Amino acid sequence: MFSRRTLLGGAAAGAATLGLAACGGGGGSADADAEITTLKIMAPLLSDTAPDPEGQLQTAIEEFIGMPLEITWVPNSSYSDRVTVTMASDNIPHVMVHTGKSAELAQTAEAGGYWDLTDILPEYPNLTPENEDVAHGASINGRTYGIFRLRDAMRASVILRKDWLDNLGLAEPETTDDLREIARAFTDDDPAGDGSATTGLIIPAWSGYGNNGPYDLWETWHGTANVWKEEGGSLSPAFLAPEFIEANRTMREMVEAGQVNADFATMDSGTWNEPFFNGQGGIIADVSSRGLQLMGLFKDADPEGYGDKVTMVGNLKNPDGTLWALPTPGYSGYLTIPKAAVPGDAQLATVLTALDKLSSEEGQRLLNNGIEGVNYEVDGDQAVAIESEEASLIQSDVSAFAQIGTQSNGYLGLPAKPEGEAEAALDQKRLDYHEADLEHAVFNPGSAYMSQSYLQNGAILDQIVVDARLKFLAGQLDEAGLEAELERWTSSGGQQVVDEMNELYQQG
Amino acid sequence: MVMTNSPAAASPVPLQTGQEPAPGASSTRRKRSLLKRLRRSPMLYLMLLPGVVYFAVFKYAPMYGITIAFQDYLPFLGMQGSPWVGLDHFERLFSGPDFGRLLSNTLILAFLNVVIAFPAPIIVALMLNELRKQMLKKFIQTAIYIPHFLSWAIVSGLTYLLFALDIGPITVLFNELFGGRVNFLADPDWFRPLIMAQTLWKGTGWGTIIYLAALAGVDKQLYEAAMIDGAGRFQQLRHVTIPAIIPTVIIMLILNIGNFLDTGFEQIYMLTNSLNRDVADVFDTYVYFMGITNGAYSYSTAIGLFKSIVGLILILGANWLAKKFTESSLF
Repeated sequence: MFSRRTLLGGAAAGAATLGLAACGGGGGSADADAEITTLKIMAPLLSDTAPDPEGQLQTAIEEFIGMPLEITWVPNSSYSDRVTVTMASDNIPHVMVHTGKSAELAQTAEAGGYWDLTDILPEYPNLTPENEDVAHGASINGRTYGIFRLRDAMRASVILRKDWLDNLGLAEPETTDDLREIARAFTDDDPAGDGSATTGLIIPAWSGYGNNGPYDLWETWHGTANVWKEEGGSLSPAFLAPEFIEANRTMREMVEAGQVNADFATMDSGTWNEPFFNGQGGIIADVSSRGLQLMGLFKDADPEGYGDKVTMVGNLKNPDGTLWALPTPGYSGYLTIPKAAVPGDAQLATVLTALDKLSSEEGQRLLNNGIEGVNYEVDGDQAVAIESEEASLIQSDVSAFAQIGTQSNGYLGLPAKPEGEAEAALDQKRLDYHEADLEHAVFNPGSAYMSQSYLQNGAILDQIVVDARLKFLAGQLDEAGLEAELERWTSSGGQQVVDEMNELYQQG
Repeated sequence: MVMTNSPAAASPVPLQTGQEPAPGASSTRRKRSLLKRLRRSPMLYLMLLPGVVYFAVFKYAPMYGITIAFQDYLPFLGMQGSPWVGLDHFERLFSGPDFGRLLSNTLILAFLNVVIAFPAPIIVALMLNELRKQMLKKFIQTAIYIPHFLSWAIVSGLTYLLFALDIGPITVLFNELFGGRVNFLADPDWFRPLIMAQTLWKGTGWGTIIYLAALAGVDKQLYEAAMIDGAGRFQQLRHVTIPAIIPTVIIMLILNIGNFLDTGFEQIYMLTNSLNRDVADVFDTYVYFMGITNGAYSYSTAIGLFKSIVGLILILGANWLAKKFTESSLF
């Protein structure tokens, strides 16, 4: 009869959904013997438009590695969320780009979700790291679970309004005290010469700790070390060093004197350039490439007189004259290979061979420069952009494809030739500072180690420090309050992190 | 929750009016009669099927995922492969340093929602009901509905513009009137007022719809009788209008209390920063932070489960109270 059949159907549907739910999350296990014919990659997209899969650059890359590509471009703002969600799905790519050493990455890697490449990478010459220190820092407790994406080890700089310095007759800063004096003068002495309200430093809302933010720079210059401080063979958190309080005390003085933009806790970091360009503030401490960006803004507004608006210096010395420069980790995330998508050894070899090709000189130029003769020409050891509609299409694709380049064997692409004389001078100055500062770089001695309790509570613990620091700067906490908050870090699980880190450090 | 999807939400009449089965009916008899009824009118039950399938597929089957609250779940290992840890995550939650703060922040916001955001539409509906000019009433209604259709992202954007330090129009006005230099967006004392202001602005107009419907259903003769007895406008309001919408208010209150702990993730998340986090962190944002950002799926599921259980207890409790002290209840 009708009713019984429908009932059975309903029961079957119910059972099927339960079964489906039960299967979900098992990961998309691919066949270990099947050959990989299309390379699937998931990568972050930093610009607005994803490259055309039929575009010239992608076609050229596919020809070069001898395999079609299928790339999932995910907007950078939600990228790390998408990585975790994708790893739980059954549509896992062959190559997963990670933008940092996240808890998800470490946990999945240690559970066997990504290939352990420690003993495999040396077989691929273009995937063998050039810099052992960076490679060690990029490892997870000594094991390599991905091919790191090389970045400049030194990028820190202080960018200043050159015309304001000139108006006030001030020299470029060398020490943190110099910078405080400049911040004061930029605030009180009418640097623009028109009576407009100005501040010294511009700081946006900055989340996270130990990620080369403006506050991290200021603290390292004062001698707090870099995330972890090594003394007598043991590690302690940099923010528990006495210099941490001292650095933030001076920063707080600047905040209280109005020498920092008042909305430093809430300002959108996407609009960081605006107050500098509009003449509301005159100092930015950030990566040096921002200096060239700012110069570009001034050039757009005034193609003639833009040259004397922006200048920059490198890391600042502490008042005693000692230079502690804050380096980057030297890499920015990894390319990992999920075992669920690449289960067999032969498949792994296919994927690594393709990545190895992409990291060769020719591959690196494709990813970082584009197609020679179409969108750039070689001038000495620099790349000169070609102006054409075709070229600009490729140029925008290049900025996306650079994200899947690793260069862990050293950068073999060509640096772009700066457009004008002022840019060339600023660029040269920036590179000189990087080179000089690198000799005084304070590396993070704990960067390779990931403690279990940090994996569990790291985000919460870091937040305590970040919030306490900002509350202190905003005047919500006094020094005793700041110390109490740092004490809370220790008591709510931080001590365990310190103990575990030291254990790993002694072993490693 | 399931309840919010029920059309009962819009019904102003008491839903349960003593249709309990006879006290003597045993469960076996009920079962047999269900089978009999099934045979007698299969088409009726066939029509029920889509609803049953919908709830089974989209509401009940996903509940299987709750099991990860009792595991150390790793996406890559899946639900079968992840090790079981019993109640570890709950222990960690209750003994953790954040629990007290989260609970009190959540409860305070929930309380403010009940005492401020819940009555607001009732008051506005009563006021609209007293308006004589239909044109004006319709215009006001339409105008106050509009914010409901804006997403929280837009509401937050507007808030940031209006309350920006030193330059936001409201900040400027406030500082001119009361002096000082208020940082609305970063000052923890202003966090809850801002949240309530957003909630009222966005939700009040929309919330009046149900009460206006209930008010439209009040028998005109009652007002006429009250007028003949010499009741003024306020007495009519007190003795006719309010008693007439009380059942609706109670049903709405019970439904609301079920979502008592849902404090609105998007709204709070977008208004949170380092300086006001102490008062802003609630269970919803914490679950996001731990689960999605930190990859602690099991722990955040445990928190979510705890929240749901509290919500269930609240809704059952409110229903019980309503049944006990008034004639209207939900089930």
